Amino acid sequence: MYAIELKNLTKQYGAERGIIDVNIAIEQGEIFGFIGPNGAGKSTTIRTLLGLIKPTSGSATIFGKNSVQHPEVRKEVGYLPSEVFYYDNMRVVDLLKYSASFYKKDCNKRIQELAKVLDLDLKKKINDLSFGNKKKVGIVQGLLHEPKLIILDEPTSGLDPLMQQRFFELIEAENKKGATVFFSSHILSEVQRLCDRVAFIKKGKIIQLERMSVLKEHSYKRVVIETKTDVDKDVFALDGVSDLKQAGNSVSFIYKGNINVITEKLAQLELINLSVEDPDLEEIFLHYYEKEG
Amino acid sequence: MNVFWQEIKANTKALIIWSICMVLLVASGMAKYTAYSAGGAGSEAIKSLPESVRALLGINDFDVTMMAGFFAMLFLYIELALAIHAVLLGSGIIAKEERDKTTEFLLVKPLSRASIITAKLCAALVNILILNTITFVASDFFTKQFNDGKAITSELLTFFFSLLLVQLLFVTLGAFFAATLHNPKSSGSLAVGVLLLSFFIGKITDLTSNLDVLNVLSPFKYFDYALMVQGDRLDVLTVALTFAASVLLTVGTYVFYRKRDMSV
Repeated sequence: MYAIELKNLTKQYGAERGIIDVNIAIEQGEIFGFIGPNGAGKSTTIRTLLGLIKPTSGSATIFGKNSVQHPEVRKEVGYLPSEVFYYDNMRVVDLLKYSASFYKKDCNKRIQELAKVLDLDLKKKINDLSFGNKKKVGIVQGLLHEPKLIILDEPTSGLDPLMQQRFFELIEAENKKGATVFFSSHILSEVQRLCDRVAFIKKGKIIQLERMSVLKEHSYKRVVIETKTDVDKDVFALDGVSDLKQAGNSVSFIYKGNINVITEKLAQLELINLSVEDPDLEEIFLHYYEKEG
Repeated sequence: MNVFWQEIKANTKALIIWSICMVLLVASGMAKYTAYSAGGAGSEAIKSLPESVRALLGINDFDVTMMAGFFAMLFLYIELALAIHAVLLGSGIIAKEERDKTTEFLLVKPLSRASIITAKLCAALVNILILNTITFVASDFFTKQFNDGKAITSELLTFFFSLLLVQLLFVTLGAFFAATLHNPKSSGSLAVGVLLLSFFIGKITDLTSNLDVLNVLSPFKYFDYALMVQGDRLDVLTVALTFAASVLLTVGTYVFYRKRDMSV
């Protein structure tokens, strides 16, 4: 039995595109990345899976059950929405206890633990919290009942790097205990570090599904260099180079492949300036997946 | 049960404020009774008013120099206030999850949408019942105060039972709007709009008997308060039909809320 199974899942909002023919099967115990630019349909997929919206056609099941017909299956689900909104005039601890009350088990100890790890003040009122702190409430709320399936929609937005780190550690620990994780994001690098498999979604369609091991062979880098002398055009005529732009003695391109190959090339040049950055997802899509999609 | 208690807690403050306001409304309204009843001079003045003016004041059928008649005049405003409370409560209690964007919290809990509706409607029911009871107790108390200690409790019981049915109708109407409409912010104002329209329809049919058929659109006209003043019981058929309308709206609330995409 799959933790999540989406079969030909389609959701259309009137004439507007939502998601089209999405097929994903996630094994239990897996960390599954769901990657796509904003507006690609990531949240729509999750909301359909959770029964907040109804599919136009196709099916979505959690542990083999449809979550609308069998709401009890949601007991095993912890969900962190991309934007967290709670009852404003409740205190954090009251909200978390309210949340815990739906799962019929004692979650107090877990709440205290998680709040400590994330450095969250439980006594504050929800509407006094910053965006990042609300996100922390969302994380605690999603994990407090130790769910078997954790669904995360853009979980790191609003968290500072230290908290992101702690958050990843939490998720890894839950996964070690056996939880399946469905991780939606538009940042490839954070998915890269955690996930076993990744699905790419664009304009509502899954365009690629890859094992992380395959993806990890490649790192994607945007390289910008300035050289003392003009560079021969053919120097960068390599596999894995795209979006090559050359203007006088400045060159920019995206590189996919073994980093050592490219650093060797660069070492042969006399550089004035060099920058190597993670390209954003849109760029990766544009130059590596567009054609395949 | 947790959703029920959550809603009870969330509405406590509003309920307290409404209760205080209703007690003040009854108290200040009854304080004017002496002016109407004293020596009958007020009564003469009222009788000399043209009928249309009396209709607009809501007093054409009542002898406002008698306590029960005077209370019937005041009751119209009590009824309007409690109906507004009910319609806002009904639409708000359903629409708030979407309005405050908390659907992604509550609707992913291991609960069916139907059970959420049930919990919320029960909480709303408790609220209207409490407000009705408090207003009834205040009315009973103040009518005694201004009527030389003579109670009109049995008439009041009829009044407030009919009021409970009107509240029930409006609370389910509000819930129905919230369950059917996609925009959670518009359901409250639309529900109040419909309520005020029905109130004015009731006023218009007071002015002329030719339009009495329109009274079916105005729950404020379902029960005959002139007969209640005389101590008559409620018409069983009207009670049954009003109740049936509430049931129908409740069924509609479940049906539409279960089918619908949540706006998030």
